[in-house]
Amino acid sequence: MDCKRGGSAIVGVGEVPTGRFPDKGAITFALEASRLAIRDAGIDKDEIDFVIPTTAVFSFQFSNELTTCRLVEELGLKNVIANATVFSGGSSSTNALRIASALIETGRARTILFVHCDKLGTGVSAQGGIDLFSTAGISMEWEVPYGQHYSTVAALATQRYKYETGTTDEQLSAVCVSNRKWAQLNPNAFFRKPLTIEEVMASKMLSTPLRAKHSNMLFDGGAAFVVTSAGRARELTSRPAYVLGEGGVVTHFAYHQEPDLTRFGWAQAGRQAFSEAGIGPADIDVAEIYDSYPIYQLIAFEEIGLAGRGEAGRLHLEGQTAPGGRIPTTTDGGMLSKGHIGAGGSVSLLVEAARQVMGRAGPRQVPDCRFAVETAVGGTYMDAQVTILGNEIP
Amino acid sequence: MSDDTTRPPKPRPVVQPWALPFWEAARAHRLVLQTCHDCEKPIHYPRIACPHCGGDDLGWQESAGRGTIYSFTVVQSNAPSAFIGDMPYVVAVIRLAEGVQMLSNIVDCDPAQLQCDQPVEVVFETLDEQFTLPKFRPAKG
Repeated sequence: MDCKRGGSAIVGVGEVPTGRFPDKGAITFALEASRLAIRDAGIDKDEIDFVIPTTAVFSFQFSNELTTCRLVEELGLKNVIANATVFSGGSSSTNALRIASALIETGRARTILFVHCDKLGTGVSAQGGIDLFSTAGISMEWEVPYGQHYSTVAALATQRYKYETGTTDEQLSAVCVSNRKWAQLNPNAFFRKPLTIEEVMASKMLSTPLRAKHSNMLFDGGAAFVVTSAGRARELTSRPAYVLGEGGVVTHFAYHQEPDLTRFGWAQAGRQAFSEAGIGPADIDVAEIYDSYPIYQLIAFEEIGLAGRGEAGRLHLEGQTAPGGRIPTTTDGGMLSKGHIGAGGSVSLLVEAARQVMGRAGPRQVPDCRFAVETAVGGTYMDAQVTILGNEIP
Repeated sequence: MSDDTTRPPKPRPVVQPWALPFWEAARAHRLVLQTCHDCEKPIHYPRIACPHCGGDDLGWQESAGRGTIYSFTVVQSNAPSAFIGDMPYVVAVIRLAEGVQMLSNIVDCDPAQLQCDQPVEVVFETLDEQFTLPKFRPAKG
C-alpha cells in the first residue's frame, strides 16, 4: 500500500474517568469526552467537518442514536458533512483512525472527531455482561453450543502459549502488576490500589489457567480524539501525534479457525506498520498494548518485535515494562487496571499513545517520548491492528 | 442441580442450510467433513463455497473422528448462564487428523490429566431431538 507517512495527526484527546456511574447516561460520557478533545486540540468546535462515533455495546437504541447524528446535534456542530459510525469491536479505534487519515489525506475531510462511550459497568448486570460476551463475536453455530465465552477464549491461547514457550503463571501475573503500577498514576483508571503477583495468583480460577485477576472487568466511560492534516496540526501545536504507520491483518471470525493461537497476525501487522513509519521496534519509546487479558499483551509485545519469542513474561516480571522500565508499556493501566469499556479498550490506549507523544501524559509521561506503538484487536482476537504515532516524521 | 429450571436452555446451533448434512450426520453419530471436489481439501466449518479455491463443487467425507487437543481449558466459574450447571466443563480446540480444527468439549475425562497435543476421539452427545453435538474424549489405545 502506498500511504502518506505523517499526512495526518491527532491534535487533541479527551477522556472521562472509567468507573460505575449509574446516574449518568452514556451520552454524558460522549459529550464530555468530545468537549475535552476539542478544547485539547485548541480548535473551534465548528472546525469539525466529520464525526465518527463508534458503537456502544450496551444498548442498540443508544448506538443507533449515535449513528443517526445525535452527537452532531447535541454538540451543535454546524459544519459537519457526514456522521458515520465505524465499529469493529476492540479495534474500532485503529480502524476509525485509518479511515479518518484516509479521508484527510484525500481531501474528503479536514478535521474529524472520533468518539467512543459505553456503559458496560452499570448498563448491564454482571451475569448479563458474561452472557453478552458469550455470544458477541462468537459463532452461534460452531462455538456457542459448547460454552465458549471470553474467559475460555483467552484461556485457550494462554494454555497453548504456556505449553509452547514455558511461560509461567507468575510471569503472566506480572503483566497485571505492571499495568497496575501505571494505573496508580492515572486518575481516570478504576483500579488504583497496589497489586502483587501473590494476590493475582490467589484470585478465583475462572477457566484454567486464567484467574479472576487475569481478567478485565467491565465499566462505564468514554474518550474522544481529533484528527486533522499535518499542515493544520503544525499550526495548532509543536508536538502533534503524527500518524506514521498502520498495519493490519484480519485472521478469523470463529476463534477455532485461527491456525496459531500463540501468534495471531501480529508479526505481519507490525512489519507493515514499522515499514510505513520508517522506524523499527528499537526506536519505540512507549508501547500501548491491548491487554484485555495478560496473554494478549505478551503475544503482541513479542510478535511486533519488542521482545523475542517467550521472553515477554520475563521482561514484565523484571519490571522492564513498568514505570521507570526500559519499555514503558500500557501506560494508562490498560483494560486490566483502567477498566474495559467495550470498544473503548483500545480507544483508551490510542488516546494514551497520542498523549505520550504530545507530551501531555502528566505523571505517566515517558521522558523524551518521540514514538509510540499501539495495538488493537476486536472480536475473539479476530484481527491484529498496529498503529505508530510520533511527534516527528522520520 | 435443583435450580436448573431457572436457567436458560442450552443454546442450539444456529444452522446455515449448507451445513445441514453435518448436523444430520451428527444425529446419526457420524462425523463428516465438507470436501472440495476442485482442490480436494477438507473444509470445516462448512462453507457456501470452498474457502481455499473458491470452488462450489462441494461434497462430504467421513472423518475418522480422531485428532489431538490443540488447546483446552477447564471452566470453573463465571460460565454463561446456560452452562453454570455444567461446571467444571472442558472447552477445547481439536485438531482433526484430516487437517481441520474444530471447537468442542472434552468429556469422559479427568480434567486435571488433560494435556496439549493429547490424542482424542469423537463421541456424540444428544442435545435435544434435533441436535447431537460431536464431542471428544481421551483416545483409548
